[in-house]
Parts: sequence; structure tokens; C-alpha cells
Amino acid sequence: MKLNHNFIVHNTGDETLLVPTAEAPFHGLIQGNKTLEFILNCLQEDITEEEIISAISAEFRGNADEIREDVEKTVSELRRIGALDE
Amino acid sequence: MKQTYKIAEKNIEIDSLFPEIHAFCSDYVTNQIADFSVKISEQDIVFEREKSVRESIVEGLEIINYPDSYLETLAVYRKIADKMLSYETMLFHGSAIAVDGQAYLFTAKSGTGKSTHTRLWREVFGDRAVMVNDDKPLLKVTDSGVTVFGTPWNGKHRLGKNNSAPLKAICILERGETNEISIISTSDALPKLIQQMYRSQDHSLLSKSLELISKLVHQIPIYNLYCNISYDAVNTAYNGMK
Repeated sequence: MKLNHNFIVHNTGDETLLVPTAEAPFHGLIQGNKTLEFILNCLQEDITEEEIISAISAEFRGNADEIREDVEKTVSELRRIGALDE
Repeated sequence: MKQTYKIAEKNIEIDSLFPEIHAFCSDYVTNQIADFSVKISEQDIVFEREKSVRESIVEGLEIINYPDSYLETLAVYRKIADKMLSYETMLFHGSAIAVDGQAYLFTAKSGTGKSTHTRLWREVFGDRAVMVNDDKPLLKVTDSGVTVFGTPWNGKHRLGKNNSAPLKAICILERGETNEISIISTSDALPKLIQQMYRSQDHSLLSKSLELISKLVHQIPIYNLYCNISYDAVNTAYNGMK
């Protein structure tokens, strides 16, 4: 899966925003922290959910179950708003 | 049909399919040489119709069969909004009113009461208040401040003038039982402002809009106003922002 080209990532310094172009079916905005930023960076290239979990686990210290849960939740939200090409 | 108009300091030639757009923009006619041109095709009209239907379905609204000449006014502004980004100028959704020469821009979701609130400002301030634009002004963002420009796209009541004013503040309006205003942080303001700015279909142009709105939010104070429909709401807003 990969981030759909109708969405762009905008970093404000404090947080990461995922903003849809007028072409996207979703008209809202997704806001998040460093984890979202990391996941969205991973999704610039074609990648699997398991590969994202491995990459985050290598980058951040944290409970493996919590990391998995965070990634699954984020990916599921991105899928819901049509931000993933699969 | 071609005619040139001066909007937000740029001379724009509009090459249209229908005459209505030229009556719509008549207050902005210029004889100067165009800085750029926008040309409308049948395909642009089809795009606007499909977009309008898509959005009505998403919002659960009745699908209205708009005339092509109306859809052309939307297509023209979409093209102008894209081009204006090259001049550090962006389209923003809101009602802008100037008091004593300084503009206050009220933004909110459609139906919240922006136009009602700025009507109250005109009643309270009388001749001191001038409407800049009631719906879709253009904002020029520079290193030394932001200027709000009137445009022909000034809402269903056509409130606004071919004028401009330096932007003093932006106010995000929400309905409340009582009146209360507070300044909000740039990080809280930015996502709310992004929701109300024009979003291009084009990736790089949308990035440019995000760059401009980020620059704006660091120069202009952003307030949150909870208000009812009263003159007290106007006094609360004005005293909170002046």
C-alpha cells in the first residue's frame, strides 16, 4: 500500500497534518504526532503494514503491542478516508 | 467572449463561454494589459457540475441542476485561485469587513452565521464599516503583513466592494449562548484555517497554499469567538481583537 497522490503531508513543527487536495473524496483533515509523521513517510513508497510496524519498532522505543495497535489504528483511519492505494 | 478585470492587483483576462460572468465581474473591468488569462472550456463546466453533485451527495443535500453560466463563474474562480498562488495570494472562505480601514475576517463552516455577524458590525459601526467581501476574499500574504481584497465572488447577497484593507485579525466564529472571545495558538489555529482555505486539485499548488497559510498564521492573530446574534456579540468581538 502507498499514500494516495491526492493527499499531502504538511509538518507544522508541532504536529503533522494530512491534507487532501480538491480531488480527494475526503474533505477533512488528519492531525497527528511523530508516529503519524513516521507512518506517512513510510507510505511515500509501497509498503506493507508489517513493514511499517518493523520500521517503527526499530526507530522508537516502546511496547510492541502498543506500536502494533497504533499502526493498525492509523492505517485503518487512512484506509477509511481513501488515503491509501492498495 | 473576452474581457480583462483587475482583481487583487492583477489584471486577469477572462475568456468565457457565456456572457453572465462578465456582468458578474463588471465592477472590476480594466483596460490594462492582462498579467494572465483564464479560458473556460465545456470540460470545465462538466467538472463543476460533477463536483457539485458529488458534494451534494456527501453532504446529504438536494442535487440542484445549476445553469452552465453559473457553473462557469465557479470554474473561472477556480482557475484564478490557482493562478493567484504564484502571486502569494490565496482564496479564503469568510466574511471580511473593514472598520476604520482595518479588516477583520470571520470564518466558519457555511451556515454558522458569518454574514449575520458582519451585518451586525455594519449596524453597530455605520459609516466606519465597509464590507470587503462576504464570502470568498483573496488574501495577499507578504513578509510585512496580509491584505484582504474584495472580489466579484462575494456571496449570495453580493456584499463587498472592489477594495482592499490590511488584515488585522481572523476570527473563527462558533455559535454560543453568550459572547466570549479568546486568542488561540498558531498550532490550534492552523488546522481550522486549512479547512476554510481554497484547496487546489494540484499537489504543488496545494503545497503553496499550505505555505501561505502557515506564513499567515505567524503574522496575524487568530481568535475563537462564541457568539449569539446581538450587538453585544459585536462589542465582544471588536474589543477582543482591536
